[in-house]
Amino acid sequence: MKFLLIVHHNEEAFENMDKGTQRQLLTESIELTHQLHAAGQYVHASPLQPAATSVLVRVREGKSLVTDGPFIETREQIAGYFLINARNLDEAVGIAGRVPGARIGTVEVRPSIEITGLPNSREAYLVKVEG
Amino acid sequence: MKYLCLVYVEEKILHAMPQSERIALSDESMAYCDGLQKQGQLIAASPLHPVDTATTVRVRDGKTTTTDGPFAETKEQLGGYLLIDVGDLNDAVRIASKFPAAQYGSIEVRPLKEHGCA
Repeated sequence: MKFLLIVHHNEEAFENMDKGTQRQLLTESIELTHQLHAAGQYVHASPLQPAATSVLVRVREGKSLVTDGPFIETREQIAGYFLINARNLDEAVGIAGRVPGARIGTVEVRPSIEITGLPNSREAYLVKVEG
Repeated sequence: MKYLCLVYVEEKILHAMPQSERIALSDESMAYCDGLQKQGQLIAASPLHPVDTATTVRVRDGKTTTTDGPFAETKEQLGGYLLIDVGDLNDAVRIASKFPAAQYGSIEVRPLKEHGCA
């Protein structure tokens, strides 16, 4: 199963950290991606540009409405993500606990609905959207 | 440049749709992603299970605490994502605006940090 781990932290607090600590967190995050890769659990991961760089896109009645983001104003902002393979939620939560961002912020773990290349994918999707 | 497009849709709206409309929306979304992939613009994309399947994880003083539920309760919920690789923000916005869910919800487009972090 694929899981999206969304890492949130307070951008201001992060910016105020000394460079050495910032670098250490980044180095640990990169090491984690290598560990996940070696275990066949890595799909993709990246830090994101600050929330102030985000743009919100909506289309209503055929018209595109583009505004500055982010989608929600929160004390902690989305700082990056890990897209992982895990056998189940417990394993995904275990990996989330190893994300350095979990120590200074919050990691939201969301299971993906797998569709690509799966013959029963659409049915699985429909079951879920039907609740 | 790479962008993460976070797709927020009110789950209630999806639940209230007739099944045929949901199938059409799902098909249209998958076809759109196929198209992006063929053009080399898609790295990954997926819908997510409903927000009540979310788990929130924090580690403090070496101890992991988990809580059920998403990071933030919102009227529209994070329902999926597209990770795209395109020329610039204008391309990213154009791609987001053509994704079917943009007609129902909101898509947040965030550039990745590709050249280091700190």
